[in-house]
Amino acid sequence: MGEKGKNQIKIVVAGPYAAGKTQFINTVSEIQTVQTEAKTTKSEEKSVKNHTTVAMDFGRITIDDNHVLYLFGTPGQERFDFMWDILGKGMVGLVVLVDSTDPSTFHEARKIINYFESRYPAPFVVGCNKQDLKGAWDPQDIRIALDLNEDIKVLPLVALSKESVKNILLELLEEIAKFI
Amino acid sequence: MAITGTLEVFNFIDIFQILKKDRKNGILVVEDNKKNLAVYFKDGDIVYIRDVPKVFYIYLDVDFSQVMKKENIKKEDLYRMLVARLPILLAIKKGKFSFTSGFIKYSDDIKPLVPVEKIIMYLSRQLTENEVERKISDMKLVFEKTENWESIAKNAHLTNIEKKILALIDGERSVEKIMEEAKINRLTLQRVLYGFLAAGIIQRKKKVKRKIGFDLTKNLLSKIIARIKGL
Repeated sequence: MGEKGKNQIKIVVAGPYAAGKTQFINTVSEIQTVQTEAKTTKSEEKSVKNHTTVAMDFGRITIDDNHVLYLFGTPGQERFDFMWDILGKGMVGLVVLVDSTDPSTFHEARKIINYFESRYPAPFVVGCNKQDLKGAWDPQDIRIALDLNEDIKVLPLVALSKESVKNILLELLEEIAKFI
Repeated sequence: MAITGTLEVFNFIDIFQILKKDRKNGILVVEDNKKNLAVYFKDGDIVYIRDVPKVFYIYLDVDFSQVMKKENIKKEDLYRMLVARLPILLAIKKGKFSFTSGFIKYSDDIKPLVPVEKIIMYLSRQLTENEVERKISDMKLVFEKTENWESIAKNAHLTNIEKKILALIDGERSVEKIMEEAKINRLTLQRVLYGFLAAGIIQRKKKVKRKIGFDLTKNLLSKIIARIKGL
């Protein structure tokens, strides 16, 4: 998976089904994101999108001759949550995405946060995706819905925009800097 | 921005939590197949519930004194009317909701009469197993009391079992540990903790230390930041 001889730094991008994780990684990855997709089977999932991540996605950003940053996207559906454990080990930080237009995804995001905070408490930020769409909730309201304190950054995001994705990553790196 | 959704996935506790925490003023509209209710909020607490035949009627009145006039009620009637209509509102389990922030003006003498914390705790006692899993999904979670927990708990009118659980929340004990010590079943504990979280009595324990799974140096982190900025 990694380039031979290079140290791999891992950031995990987690979030509920259809929150935009694969798009987030695609937007900044220097390689075509490696995807492990399958056709969605449940009718309610099919109505949202036809394919879903089942193992993980990953994208790459080369830092220097010795280091490479990998962005790993977790599967969004709860039945693949065994992957959270595999991906959580060794991560330097976590980005949790929610679909700002769909409050049902907030519950799933809270579960993901609960899981990682109890087992792999790395620095994390929340990206409130689809802020460009009608009906998007305000990040401040999403913070309350997710039971998050003011010390956790809950940020607006449009995963199709490179600047917006970069901003989320930079905010996460700023959080990581506090613990070095 | 919107606060909209359906009650099937976002219940009244979840909605009240957001409105109370941010001390919002405005109107929550709840629509099911049979009725349209307008719930008037001041500083995050409910002051009045109005049944209207059409939703747009709600937006004809920008001043709460106009609402009272149309409803033919006086300030002294607000508590009685609210207590009579609350069960009708809270019985709705399916339908759409949307909150419009601001919009309605209240005079200073209109005060919230039923603390929303009390309603949150009342509703939390009826949560289903599926619902409690939304917030209390992990037995390893650790909670601590919030800064102003005492005044909120007083408003919430806690039961004896809720008081017992609150006494065990210290920022050290996990949910699992509290369940063992309190000798109560999982669902009861999850309901209580859900209510406490939504009411603002407790919060997730703030992490002083965080685990970074790589030997990152400040120099390397600076390189990563520069690289991301340059993308």
